[in-house]
Amino acid sequence: MKILILVMLLCYSFASSSGDTTIHTNNWAVLVCTSRFWFNYRHMANTLSLYRTVKRLGIPDERIILMLADDMACNARNEYPAQVFNNENHKLNLYGDNVEVDYRGYEVTVENFLRVLTGRHENAVPRSKRLLSDEGSHILLYMTGHGGDEFLKFQDAEELQSHDLADAVKQMKEKRRFKELMIMVDTCQAATLFNQLQSPGVLAIGSSLKGENSYSHHLDSDIGVSVVDRFTYYTLAFFERLNIYDNASLSSLFRSYDPRQLMSTAYYRTDLYQPNLMEVPVTNFFGSVMETIHTDSAYKAFSSNTSKINSDMPLNQLSDQDLQNADIPNDELNTEKQKCPYTQMRADLHEKLEKLENVDTVVNLSIAVMVLVVIVSSSVI
Amino acid sequence: MSAEKRDKEEEVKTDDGSPKIKPRPIVQLGIFLISHSPVFSVVFSAAGVLALLLLPLLAKNTYISENALMPGSARSMLSHRDVSDGSKLVKDIKNFRSNHEGQGVEVQRLIGKYMSEMGAEVYYQKFHPEGNQFHPLHFFSGPDSYTLLGNVSCASYGVNVAGIIRAPRGDGKESIVLVTPYDSINGGEYEALSLGIASSLFSLLARVTWLSKDIIWLVADSRYGDYRPVAAWLSEYHTPSFMVSDSLKCDELNTAGSFKRAGTVAAALVLKVDGRSERFEDTLSIYAEASNGQMPNLDLFNVVNYLAVHRQGFYVRVEKVVSLLSSSWLKTVGEIFEAVGKVAHTLNPDWNFGIPAADYLEGSATLASSLYSQALGIPTGPHGAFRDYQVDAITLKVSPRFPADSKARQHDFFQRGAQLLEGTIRSVNNLLEKFHQSFFLYLLTSPSKFVSVGVYMIAFALLVAPLPMVAASLYIDGCNALTKATHNPAKNLKSWKWLDAAKQVFALHLLGFIVTLLPYFICQVPGQHSPTNRSIMWAATSSSLLLLTFVTIPSCSPFSSRLHGTNWAVLKSVTISAAFIGLCLMSIINFATAMIGALLLVPMCLMVRPIKLDLRSKRVKSLVGAFCSTVLVTIGFPVIVFAISKGLIREGGLVGLSLGGEFWTWLESLWAWKSATYLYIGMVHLPCWLLCLCILFHPS
Repeated sequence: MKILILVMLLCYSFASSSGDTTIHTNNWAVLVCTSRFWFNYRHMANTLSLYRTVKRLGIPDERIILMLADDMACNARNEYPAQVFNNENHKLNLYGDNVEVDYRGYEVTVENFLRVLTGRHENAVPRSKRLLSDEGSHILLYMTGHGGDEFLKFQDAEELQSHDLADAVKQMKEKRRFKELMIMVDTCQAATLFNQLQSPGVLAIGSSLKGENSYSHHLDSDIGVSVVDRFTYYTLAFFERLNIYDNASLSSLFRSYDPRQLMSTAYYRTDLYQPNLMEVPVTNFFGSVMETIHTDSAYKAFSSNTSKINSDMPLNQLSDQDLQNADIPNDELNTEKQKCPYTQMRADLHEKLEKLENVDTVVNLSIAVMVLVVIVSSSVI
Repeated sequence: MSAEKRDKEEEVKTDDGSPKIKPRPIVQLGIFLISHSPVFSVVFSAAGVLALLLLPLLAKNTYISENALMPGSARSMLSHRDVSDGSKLVKDIKNFRSNHEGQGVEVQRLIGKYMSEMGAEVYYQKFHPEGNQFHPLHFFSGPDSYTLLGNVSCASYGVNVAGIIRAPRGDGKESIVLVTPYDSINGGEYEALSLGIASSLFSLLARVTWLSKDIIWLVADSRYGDYRPVAAWLSEYHTPSFMVSDSLKCDELNTAGSFKRAGTVAAALVLKVDGRSERFEDTLSIYAEASNGQMPNLDLFNVVNYLAVHRQGFYVRVEKVVSLLSSSWLKTVGEIFEAVGKVAHTLNPDWNFGIPAADYLEGSATLASSLYSQALGIPTGPHGAFRDYQVDAITLKVSPRFPADSKARQHDFFQRGAQLLEGTIRSVNNLLEKFHQSFFLYLLTSPSKFVSVGVYMIAFALLVAPLPMVAASLYIDGCNALTKATHNPAKNLKSWKWLDAAKQVFALHLLGFIVTLLPYFICQVPGQHSPTNRSIMWAATSSSLLLLTFVTIPSCSPFSSRLHGTNWAVLKSVTISAAFIGLCLMSIINFATAMIGALLLVPMCLMVRPIKLDLRSKRVKSLVGAFCSTVLVTIGFPVIVFAISKGLIREGGLVGLSLGGEFWTWLESLWAWKSATYLYIGMVHLPCWLLCLCILFHPS
């Protein structure tokens, strides 16, 4: 009997605590260029290229948080005023009409970055500058700048450390701000930035291993600076071949990085990410392609959708039994299961206590019971 | 806690009557060094000289330290039209000058017309070629003293032309200055070529979109020297004067109120074209030394060197002491180092410090020149004027490989010169802050090799290290000799016996100070005097002052009776201390001066002994010592040093009676340029030399 109750509790807590079962409903992208100064032109070009790509693949502007630490387009040293290029052929102006920069210049700080991720904003911050994701969101977090062992430099003054990032991601997980998160970092020793991550549902990819530098791809001798980094260049080269309907998988993206071309080793961390990379399309993160459920009528569609969400409970119970039978859950999930029912039970108890109307009687009763217990125990002794 | 305990134990011991406290290790080391000071002073001095000789080996390759500079990353945008603009200007000036004789201002107007046609803001500036007067009160007062205008005739003034190109999207807070000194009356054809290069560049810069700093092109009127017009322009640029100068009223060119400025000067380049290159390639000589051994940031130097060598194919050279190239002893030293390097390489393949003897010779000749120019404290070009305002600047002297009238080669020459400047300016334009990344204190051993301050300080430190040791050891000796009766060495040390010696040292330093100021009064003597006469005047007053000092303060005099005289050991000890302090102070102001000064002063101060003492003992060793100290003291006299260095550098043979005059002229140039070396000679070297003389003739 007790075991059965425990199992029931387990199922319940599992269903409520992890968002794994909620379906993917929306896509967000946070694109960050962390370095200023003219000679870091390429970092802004990297970020703007990614911005263009994710927009092309379907993430709308209001779901992209673009952070640019400096304004290269209007820098006096820019030979092409108000234009930014990521290739020396100058065919594609990345800084066209439709660029919406959410955080710019000195607004790009570690503090603001963490606020965006964790959603702890001051009241005055407009909705357009917030990451309004939910438990059904897939988030792409792209960062580029100068980094080192377990840190990424912001502006010229501060740095984001790997445990800051891990902490923010953990908070996001707790606050159910994402379903899946992909972190892509193009900086020197990028892999070290992921060392402290431990939240499930996070996929991370970096341009270089510890002790390796990430290099720029080529120099534009008209502008006089390097315009793009190698890792980003080959990422873009991969995406340029795709459109919104392509089904290229994440693993095909990861396989496309050639260490000889990058002059560094791209590193990806998948131990926190369950789905098989072969089956996850890149548009899950770099685009906004939702699962469409075909129904006969518009109204029915809604009803079926809600019913599906409502049916989460039994579905999960089933799945839980499957899990028990299959005997494959990994350690982290297990620990979570064992930890959570107790707290849940206490919370439930607390709730019930609060619902009681005549508190006094309960108190009196309990005192009486306590007295009894004391008498019994003393008599036994 | 434990320290207290130890102290108590020590106290207990002393109370018990055992005075033997074990001193701390550092004190022990000090006592050890002092007690063996003769050995250590020889070792340290030799190591210092060796370290100086090793410097060419320790030189590092230059590198560009500032990320923002990115030299050579941008393609040159110079077009043929720009270059032909430059050629046209040169041709026009040439035609104009052949038609109009002596019409100075008209050439400036012509240049101004060209500038404004290119779209620059043009203005003219008049200045007075006032002579540099030595004024003791204005020695360190900085460049402001130029603004003192006397009553100058209208006939003699110079006219600078300056054009400003505003950066189209810049904030106007910074600027880069390009200077081309040009003498419109006597200037040769080569000099006009520098205008051609600058004009080609200016024509380009007027149309580019990437400027973030304003560009100022200053055509300095070098009729009265290169330096003065630039200094006058800078002074006006930084300290606007609201008084209307007399010259403004003088004549045709009205320049009142037209002076224009751009922002803070980030860097300055002075371009000169002179003579024909002796080599097959075009030669670029870079001059960097400003007043008092100040150098521009090494990054600026490197950018120019990098672009000149790797982009434009110039042969880059820096000054070197040519006579050293043929010196056999230096060659031997180089060969020894080469051999040692080879042996070391066979022992451990990682030790690659050996360089070929020929490279060593080149390196040390360049190093010597670098050290000498810095020590002299006189700027090696108009760029020195910029350094007074903390602006990094260098002079580029280009020598083309073709004769000045060759039209065919001229186009190519202009293009390469302008591209070099364009690259440099674009690089500086990329800069976000002042030059600060790279070294300011360095010596060059070749255009692409340098010795940084951390390395060259070692040689100096080793050289001066024996001074305090010997001073301490001599002081102990002297005190013991003075008070043999008391037999208490501890009490002896605490006595005030050194005060007499200090009095003498102070008196002679005061004398040195007065002698340093004398030239000012000699210059005030009415009438025209030749430098020789002035130097005789100076020498006469100085020596009479010296005699006067000896008469009034008998204890100072080496000829006084034994009763009055101080103990020579104590005197030498105080002298050495004074020399040590003087050298250390000077090493902060101008390291190179202190280094060369230490090479002269340290052996002299260490070796000098009363000659009578040595002659009396009549042992070979002491006779040799006496001879050495006499020679060193003779060499230590500033005039002799000057004569020897003249002979070394110029190889001009013996300098006769005109030596005094030449010395005077040399000193005049030193104070005219406000060189701290002059103060060093007068206030450290001369008194120390006099004191050594006193010791040499001490009646002990």
